[in-house]
Amino acid sequence: MGGVPLSEGRGGRRVNPGPPRRARLRGAGGGLTVALAMGAAGCSGSHSILDPAGPAARDVAWLWWGMLAGFGLVFVAVVALWLAAFRPRERPSRSPEAERRLGLRWILGGGILLPGVSILILLAFGVPAGQRLLPLPLPGGESPQVIEVTGHQWWWEVRYPDEAGEVVTANHLVMPVGEPVDFHVTGADVIHAFWVPRLGGKIDMIPGRINRIRLEADAPGVFGAQCAEYCGVQHAHMQLHVEAVPPEEFEAWLASRREAEPESPDSPDEHASARETFAAHCASCHRVAGLAEGGIGPDLTDLGARATLGAGTLAMEEGAVARWLAEHQRLKPGNRMPAHDHLAPEVLDALGAWLETLRP
Amino acid sequence: MNPLRRWLAPSHPAQLLLGLTLWSLWFVALYGGLSVACELAPPAPGQGVLTAINGALALLTLATLGLLGWLAWRGLRAGRGGVGGSRFIALTGAGLHLFSAAGVAFVGLPILALPPCL
Amino acid sequence: MSETMRPTPEAERLHRELEAVWGNPPGWRGRLSVVNHSTLGLRFMATGLVFFLLGGVLAMLIRTQLALPDQAFMSPEIYAQVTTMHGTVMMFLFAIPMLEGLAIYLIPKMIGTRDLVCPRLTAFGYWCYLFGGIILFSSLLLEMAPDSGWFMYTPLSSSEFAPGPGSDFWLLGITFVEISALAAGVEITVSILRTRAPGMALHRMPLFAWYILAMALMIVVGFPPLILGSVLLELERAAGMPFFTVAGGGDPILWQHLFWLFGHPEVYIIFLPAAGIVSTLIPVFAGRPIVGYGWVVAAIVITGFISFGLWVHHMFAVGIPQLAQAFFSAASMLVAVPTAIQVFVWLATLWLGKPRMTVPMLWVTGFLVIFVCGGLTGVMLALVPFNWQVHDTHFVVAHLHYVLVGGMFFPLVAGAYYWLPLVTGRMPSERLGRLGFWLTFLGFNLTFLIMHWTGLLGMPRRVYTYDSAMGWDLVNLISSLGGFMMAAGIAAVLVDLVLHGRYGRTAPRNPWGADTLEWSLSMPPASYNFASLPRVESRHPLWETPTLGDAIARGEGVRPGAAHGRRELLGGEALTGRVRELIHLPGNSLLPLYAALCLAVVCVSLLIRLYPLSLLGLAGAGVLLLRWSWENGGHRRAAPLGHDEPEDPPLHSRTADGPGRWTMEVALLADGAFFLALLFGWFYLWTVSPQWQMPARSPLSLLLLLASGAALTLGALWLERRVAALIRGREAGLVLALGGIAALGGLHVALLVVVLLDAGLAPTATAHDATLLVGLAYLLGHGGLAALLAALQAWRAGLGLVGARLPFEPGVVALLWRYQLGAYWILVAAMALLPRLTGGGP
Repeated sequence: MGGVPLSEGRGGRRVNPGPPRRARLRGAGGGLTVALAMGAAGCSGSHSILDPAGPAARDVAWLWWGMLAGFGLVFVAVVALWLAAFRPRERPSRSPEAERRLGLRWILGGGILLPGVSILILLAFGVPAGQRLLPLPLPGGESPQVIEVTGHQWWWEVRYPDEAGEVVTANHLVMPVGEPVDFHVTGADVIHAFWVPRLGGKIDMIPGRINRIRLEADAPGVFGAQCAEYCGVQHAHMQLHVEAVPPEEFEAWLASRREAEPESPDSPDEHASARETFAAHCASCHRVAGLAEGGIGPDLTDLGARATLGAGTLAMEEGAVARWLAEHQRLKPGNRMPAHDHLAPEVLDALGAWLETLRP
Repeated sequence: MNPLRRWLAPSHPAQLLLGLTLWSLWFVALYGGLSVACELAPPAPGQGVLTAINGALALLTLATLGLLGWLAWRGLRAGRGGVGGSRFIALTGAGLHLFSAAGVAFVGLPILALPPCL
Repeated sequence: MSETMRPTPEAERLHRELEAVWGNPPGWRGRLSVVNHSTLGLRFMATGLVFFLLGGVLAMLIRTQLALPDQAFMSPEIYAQVTTMHGTVMMFLFAIPMLEGLAIYLIPKMIGTRDLVCPRLTAFGYWCYLFGGIILFSSLLLEMAPDSGWFMYTPLSSSEFAPGPGSDFWLLGITFVEISALAAGVEITVSILRTRAPGMALHRMPLFAWYILAMALMIVVGFPPLILGSVLLELERAAGMPFFTVAGGGDPILWQHLFWLFGHPEVYIIFLPAAGIVSTLIPVFAGRPIVGYGWVVAAIVITGFISFGLWVHHMFAVGIPQLAQAFFSAASMLVAVPTAIQVFVWLATLWLGKPRMTVPMLWVTGFLVIFVCGGLTGVMLALVPFNWQVHDTHFVVAHLHYVLVGGMFFPLVAGAYYWLPLVTGRMPSERLGRLGFWLTFLGFNLTFLIMHWTGLLGMPRRVYTYDSAMGWDLVNLISSLGGFMMAAGIAAVLVDLVLHGRYGRTAPRNPWGADTLEWSLSMPPASYNFASLPRVESRHPLWETPTLGDAIARGEGVRPGAAHGRRELLGGEALTGRVRELIHLPGNSLLPLYAALCLAVVCVSLLIRLYPLSLLGLAGAGVLLLRWSWENGGHRRAAPLGHDEPEDPPLHSRTADGPGRWTMEVALLADGAFFLALLFGWFYLWTVSPQWQMPARSPLSLLLLLASGAALTLGALWLERRVAALIRGREAGLVLALGGIAALGGLHVALLVVVLLDAGLAPTATAHDATLLVGLAYLLGHGGLAALLAALQAWRAGLGLVGARLPFEPGVVALLWRYQLGAYWILVAAMALLPRLTGGGP
């Protein structure tokens, strides 16, 4: 299996990282089904804050439901008071002094006491909830797994630093389940934001700075993530496929990546011509271990193992890479890769077929 | 009366701005002081809340609180005795001082709960 | 309240006399020279309405694109331009100018005076707004509009990632429009403080004027940081000075600070006048005075201040220490208190009165429902962990539309329905008003209530498309349908607006039974507003004296008519409203138009990078503005010295403390805000910027700086002495003295130029040198202006336009000198002394 616990690409042509099962139901039915599904599964979704999969996101989801209930009550009360004031009724005649005292009671009760108490309660809940995301030292003294994420226009570079050797992926992040993971994030060009809604938080990725955020996933699964700070025309197509796996599997995956046999320029197989095309047209930007160091575009060493192409633009399936190579400027207009439609379709097909085999 | 004393009198319209100006200055000192302190000498993350930075900020907060409390009390006293425009200014000013004091206390609360530089 | 007023002969005579002095001139040329506040206020609002409709069309384009997944209605490039421009147009070209226009139109009428204190500035502001708006919007038609989002975060908006002229359009156009806002802010502040009707002490002022005063002061303090940010970013883009580039020692986060230092107060600058409309309408339709006037005033002041302490809550995700975030979080929650005070004041007023659900009140009700909801989601967003989740999602988009549309647009329409009879003399249609309301209200909630959910489902803002698999299809479709419904509602209101002028029934005098002075005017009001100025003894003049309007028209108030041929206002004490002086105003003039045209030339030539032309335009604008200031005081086109001078009260140019002094003070307040933002930028970059490079030795020569400062200090002290002497009536040797002071100013500037040349700065290499350059340029500009004005004063003294009988102007110039004195030494301490003391930075 090459140590790659991936969800496979789906039949849909252009998809984003696997939406959970319940959400997928929605696509199936007609209008009524959709409405029903909204009611039943309204909170779920690959990017839904209300479908938390980690402690930080769960805190916030609870915070939301609590605030919704409390503030909903305040809202209904204020609007009801407002509308009731217009109801025709007898006004008891009061002395100006009595009216003044009555007015004061309204102001002190509604204008001072109500907001004062509300915000005190809110602060009491809010401050502890935020502390979970702080990169504080762990109680046991051990340091959590660190994953470095760099935002580029418009793709993600993910690095897993380790003394045994660094592993690099692009647009695809694998993390261990059940333990806190520190994400060290930065931006390579403009400001992006790292956000895995179902795990919690959000932190800007700023050129020249490294920001840290601590997230944890409860159970294995696939989570959608999308750049959250507007970063240019293809902000919409900057998806990150986040996959949480059990710790042992994570270690195994890291090890298998580190020990994978690198590509060799002169392997005598059917992909020799594709490697030549790669060397001529792709190698100055893209890395493939053993062939080229690239350094500008995403690392393609594990391209075949990805779930999507173009950071969530196109689902990975047979022939998808060739299609991407031919049409990427139409699928993701403005992306930084030059068009390659001057190459013959057979050449692109061969290149695509080889790239799809890259699954270390 | 020299101009400064006139400005500081409880019935001068400047009283409507003084309390919140103090609040703003305190706020700027709090945020600026924290930022600079964290750049120059950040305490170890493990130290928690009990740091010199938190201590200094708390002291500053208490001092501001005291000043605002006194100003509010002074305004209330002057307002009780005044009439017309000066009564209006003194009482509204006292209310604003009180609010500013409450604002200082409320915004200062996190000093007691959060480590400074993380 | 008489249904129709039959003018008495005396009223007719007064009307003719005043109209001859105050009336707008005929013809095209005449129209371009108008400085009257009513005309200009209406022009502001009409132009704002046009931009609102354009911004609305952009909104419909956005909703069309997002209605279905994977739509190809707009290309991503165009979509980015459209979203950026929607936000920019609505905030800068609609909301602010519209409310300024409302204030310009209403404030003099409400506080019982004939015009604002700086009529030519009103006109200048309008032209700046018009030209800036046209330049900015034209970028969209040229398909080169800004596309980095309406808050223009660097580096996305910098020349590397936005190489086209889009960002330049934004930076230059917005700065141009902001000049207009500052102009309005300054003169409205001074007008409210100094030209209220006799007897209208601060505590009798209509609440609307309190709200507008707060708005104006917030503009004065809040806009300069963004102007500074825009100047710096434009310098980075055009000249390569790395203020926001990490590699050069800059920091992109500085832009965010400067932007939100402006941006958050801006929200309240928009909300406060709208709340002022609400606080004006509710007592009228409840038929009783507002409950807790003082509480409302306190709430306004609190909002004005606290809103400056919230800006970081737009930046909770940039990685600021949590304790600092907690301060801003708490402060953001705190702002709920003054808002709650106002809401409950309104509720109490309704409960203790007998409210009527008229069309304006219907819109106020819509405001309440929407705004309370938006306020509550705002408190949620103040909570840092929740903010981290929903920041930059459609939840925030929904929230900000609840706050801005609910908090500004609904009260604005309420105000429009309320004041239209005053403007046109006709009543709008009840039926269209209600239809428009329900369509807008339901459409709005359909669009934006569901959008909270869209955000919670994880949809980020500003994505041009989304995949069906995300599960965002239905919610977006509903939002789009709601958007079109809302557009239909607004169309109904517009139809009413257009048709009522022709088909509406004639409005009775004071149709709503209001208490404020504007309803004592003829409908529509005459150019001079009040034939004689009302004396005010309570907060509700028209409730006390319903026939006040007739009495004023008959000349039974203060200073009836204009037999002297001057445009005159009564100037009063700020606190008590006691009369102090007669303020004479300049008449119609083309200078404001020409000056604004010169600035437009500057703006366009910077856009097309024709720098020599921009210098020429700047010089032209400078000359025109100086010419404008020349026609003041005792100048023959203003109020030349004569034999029948009024003594009690005197003309303001014959005193030492006219409104021009106050205008200067408020303008310097704005300047000071700019200066503080610059200081903040310096210290921020110094301490926080990741790759800040501080040279081991400061490049600024301390000796030369001290010499230059000595010249400035001497000049300033000398000027103060001469001003004091002039007030005591001593004018001997004035020309020479002012000339000497100007020469000292010249020396100060010359030495400063030497400092600059001697420093050998490399402003394109490091942010350190670039910031020093901006600091020195700031001092040079102010020093040069101070010297120039002193020289002009010497000239005017020589011509007899300044002297013991006309002692006003040198005192105003002295304020600028005093300011420069402070700014100079502070900047020398911060930029030359402190780095020496600390031995360079970290």
